[in-house]
Amino acid sequence: MADKPYESAWAHSMTTKEQVTVIGRLFKFAAPYKWFFIVSVILSATISAVNVFLPWLLQMYMDRYLRTSNATLAIMWMFAGLYFLGMVTRAIMQFWQNYTSTMGAEYMLENVRRKLFSQLHKKGMRYFDQTPGGSILSRLMNDTMTFSNFWALLNTLMLATFAVISSFIAMAATDMTVALWTLILVPFLALTIWYYQHYSSKVYRRMRERLSELNTKLAEAITGISVIQEFRQEKRTATNFEKTNEAYYDTRKAMIRTNSLLLSPIINLFYALGTVIVLSIFGIRGLHEVVAAGVIYAFITYLNNFYSPMSNMMDSLSDFQNGMVAGSRVLKVVDDQTLAPAQHPVADAKITQGKVEFRHVTFAYDQEHPVLKDVSFVAEPGQTVALVGQTGSGKTSTINVLMRFYEFQSGEVLIDGRDIREYPAEELRSKMGLVLQEPQLFYGDIQTNIRMFNPAISDDQVQQAAHFVQADEFIERLPQGYATPVLERGTEYSAGQRQLITFARTVVTDPKILILDEATANVDTETETMIQNGLDRIQENRTTIAIAHRLSTIQNADLILVLNQGKIVERGTNDELMAQHGYYYDMIQLQNAAHAE
Amino acid sequence: MSIFRKLSWYFRLEWRRYLTGIIGLLLTALIAIIPPRIIGNMVDGIHGQSMTGRLLLIDLGLITLAALAQYGTRYIWRNAIWGGAAHLEQLLRNRLFNHFMRMDRVFYQKYRTGDLMAHATNDLEAVQRVAGGGILQFADAIITGGTTLIAMMTLIDWRLTLLAIIPFPFLAVISWYLGQKIHRAFGESQAAFSRLNNKAQESISGIKVIKALGQDDADVADFDSQVDRTIDINRRVNRLDSLFDPSITLVISISYVATIVLGGLFVVHNVITIGNLVSFISYLAMMVWPMFAVGMLFNTMERGNASYDRVMELLEQKTHIIDQTDGITERPQGTLDYHVSQFDYPDDAGASLKRIDFTLPAGHTLGIVGRVGAGKSTIMKLILREFDNYNGEIIFGGHNIKDYALDSYLPAIGYVPQESFLFSTNIFENIRFARPEATKEEVEAAAAKSDLAGQIDNLPAGYDTQVGEEGISLSGGQRQRLAIARALLINPELLILDDALSAVDAETEAEILANLKAERANKTTIISAHRLSSVMNADEIIVLDDGHVIERGTHDELMATHGWYQRMFNQQQLETQVKGGVQ
Repeated sequence: MADKPYESAWAHSMTTKEQVTVIGRLFKFAAPYKWFFIVSVILSATISAVNVFLPWLLQMYMDRYLRTSNATLAIMWMFAGLYFLGMVTRAIMQFWQNYTSTMGAEYMLENVRRKLFSQLHKKGMRYFDQTPGGSILSRLMNDTMTFSNFWALLNTLMLATFAVISSFIAMAATDMTVALWTLILVPFLALTIWYYQHYSSKVYRRMRERLSELNTKLAEAITGISVIQEFRQEKRTATNFEKTNEAYYDTRKAMIRTNSLLLSPIINLFYALGTVIVLSIFGIRGLHEVVAAGVIYAFITYLNNFYSPMSNMMDSLSDFQNGMVAGSRVLKVVDDQTLAPAQHPVADAKITQGKVEFRHVTFAYDQEHPVLKDVSFVAEPGQTVALVGQTGSGKTSTINVLMRFYEFQSGEVLIDGRDIREYPAEELRSKMGLVLQEPQLFYGDIQTNIRMFNPAISDDQVQQAAHFVQADEFIERLPQGYATPVLERGTEYSAGQRQLITFARTVVTDPKILILDEATANVDTETETMIQNGLDRIQENRTTIAIAHRLSTIQNADLILVLNQGKIVERGTNDELMAQHGYYYDMIQLQNAAHAE
Repeated sequence: MSIFRKLSWYFRLEWRRYLTGIIGLLLTALIAIIPPRIIGNMVDGIHGQSMTGRLLLIDLGLITLAALAQYGTRYIWRNAIWGGAAHLEQLLRNRLFNHFMRMDRVFYQKYRTGDLMAHATNDLEAVQRVAGGGILQFADAIITGGTTLIAMMTLIDWRLTLLAIIPFPFLAVISWYLGQKIHRAFGESQAAFSRLNNKAQESISGIKVIKALGQDDADVADFDSQVDRTIDINRRVNRLDSLFDPSITLVISISYVATIVLGGLFVVHNVITIGNLVSFISYLAMMVWPMFAVGMLFNTMERGNASYDRVMELLEQKTHIIDQTDGITERPQGTLDYHVSQFDYPDDAGASLKRIDFTLPAGHTLGIVGRVGAGKSTIMKLILREFDNYNGEIIFGGHNIKDYALDSYLPAIGYVPQESFLFSTNIFENIRFARPEATKEEVEAAAAKSDLAGQIDNLPAGYDTQVGEEGISLSGGQRQRLAIARALLINPELLILDDALSAVDAETEAEILANLKAERANKTTIISAHRLSSVMNADEIIVLDDGHVIERGTHDELMATHGWYQRMFNQQQLETQVKGGVQ
């Protein structure tokens, strides 16, 4: 089952050890872009040094020249020039620091996505059959994003740390005693940060969950509007929605309150109290001796540098847990070992005839409960073998084995007399064509949907294939012919048209073996005829293994295999099987009786 | 500014909140003037050794008080203004939702789900930003900017102030300009994200096709090239974003140059004290944010205004269905008389109905068959009052259906489409959607009638099994049966199965139809289908083509006419002989 969107994903807390492991592994993703991060770290350090240098410059100016009134205009311009230069340097460094760190994170994010995506393609069909598509997509797109925000957090943390260290060193260098006194506030600051973290992350989480719940309800109400209206449930649905909306508003208020109490206002308060401490020491000292104006100015500025990144940092810490959990979920996909079955190719193995043979094949999805038991059959080149039987009898499993989507446990699958595992994967894929029940179109145009990514297929071949399955009629009537766009899932085309396009896609590669998973759903009769004609044509001169639902497919099959609980219980042609008065015959009788009622 | 006027109803409604917020902001700004000035004085005092213990205590006390007071006032304005924004969003969201509930099919044809979602999320977000950040930026620019400026001019020196703030308007220009560019670039970045997202989604859902064609590598390469494009777009966002801080630094560096030179001259010539200079630099820093806010305000208002207009446009849409709230309140019952001479879909020339007439006495069943697009569902839609703009009349239980109050009329009808929507909750709640007070027994009875009970028992959590978007995916047949159970639970006077048996097998279909026959004596049923066995036992069957009736009669009568029905029936029979049995 997919993760519920509004159920806290990070409700289960991770141990410190787990977190360290995750962070360690996450750093590896960033390794190729280490220069971005190194440059950004160096620049952060330098910026914090410049931030210390600038107040110091003003301190010198005030104490050395303004105080003694021996500043000439030239000296003033010199200080102004130096200050300006410092600011320009800082501006340039700020730009590059931000740019390198965000681009580093961007490259890393996309690197993770690329890795994950190519990893996905190495996984076996088992993985996709067991994991909901939505959850895979969410790992690939959203979790990687959250996890890259984690790097933005590291950047904020780093800037804050450098600011804190450099301003403290500057304070200590200016006046050690006063610098140490300011540390009195640090335990309270630490307590505030800890408490904020502890409290706000809870509120924040609840807020996000409720927002997610709110949006789910909204989306469902819109898509399900006809059901709601037909059953006159508008009031109930709206009341229910208002309740969720109210709950979200409540947590948002709580979040605002928390931030108002514990975020920037309290940091400002700390800064002000720090200033009071600094001023009281300098003030007491000033009762007896001279304390230079520049020193006080510089000190207060350092104190400001010390506190100003705090609220920003505290705010982004809420993302820390998020990033960790997202990261660990991404890693889980990477670690998953559900790999596609391996081939052991013999270089010159080529499929020329298209003879398919199963010898005593046994196959289980879970290693324990076989869904195919000792299945043997031969499909001679050009023959059609129809697989029939009830749901769960093993039809789809047979195709899964033949397509090498799953590894079988024992027995042999031979093509042209050679073990299927000895063919290179490309050879198998190019000589075996699969036609699925549900025609799947991809974003692009008609032409790319027929050719798919294969550049070796010419425009001419595409058109021939379309002509062959008689899809050219409707394609040529389209405004842009073969270049007519296909939007997501191709919903602008009828079921029959979509099916014909996928037929063309299959024949354009000219496979020797055709594997058909016929549709069970009822379509209207014209569509049916359209599909039937296409099917008849693509089966010509090809070995066909079909999960058959169509009358003509079954009646014309050279061999019908009746499967029951993973075993072949009867085999023969339609006439032979009807004459046997066995399982096949019974099923048909039963069905006809039910129907005639 | 017009957006503030458009939202004035809200500010008037919540005037207490906003007044509190503005007063809080004003106090915060006024108090903020105090510490820099005192620090400057103290610097002079310490520097000139004129400091006394008493003076020191007063100064320190004042700064501490100011700090504590600011903590309080900051808390107040934040709560008031951000809270006000959140409340506006909540209010508008409820309003929008209730509006969605009332809208008709025409509305939902015009606006797609994605658009409606975007209006209810992004647009509301932009509007609430006006009531939060916008108000803050507006108030900050005037209050904080104004008070600081006055403080600088009166407390320090007006000449120095004027010179130092010359570059400040550039801050406003920069924040406006960069803000706009970033907003646009960010939009492109989001578009790039959704393109990549769509690509990935397609690959994942089409993995079998890709694997079967051996195009894994090509697919990965395609993804990679999309990623490259995404990076290029995001590079632009990052570059613009990285320009913000440096631009501020550059602009204020000019102010600093002016301050250092002119301020220095003034100090040397005793126009101002050195303490004044320290205060001045603090005030200068306080001016940065208000100037920046001016620029941001323009962007906030522009986006908020556009969003608000879009939301209002939605809210101004009217439903075409007029509910006679003072109409007939009795439950419709009895004969259904359907006489529609002409109906055309608004904005769609293609599909329409012409001269459809039938009378369906209570307890009878009507079958409707015909090709896709022949108008079968359209007939039902008019009964469901999804459209009222037809010529003719539909009489149910002796009254025109337009004369009933919708609250009395619709609950008497159970409509089951081919694809019914399941909500993200468990099976139990989905079945009793239309009657949330139904008991477990009633729900189970409905499930039994639609031949779903056995299937539910096989599910991991039985009736508690989660379905919908995030739950387990039921097969098409199971979904249809669940939808039928949902409709049966309200024991409708008129049950409409609109191709609602297309995904169940023939055996199950026969069983469900038998159950309906037994359970629904005296209640009316309309069934439309592709599979003719669904309707062969109906009291009357009408065959539609292109919106009008081409054949009508009972099964036997139609079989005798040698028309479309007979041809289709024989063809399907032939197929069933083998096909049905081996599924």
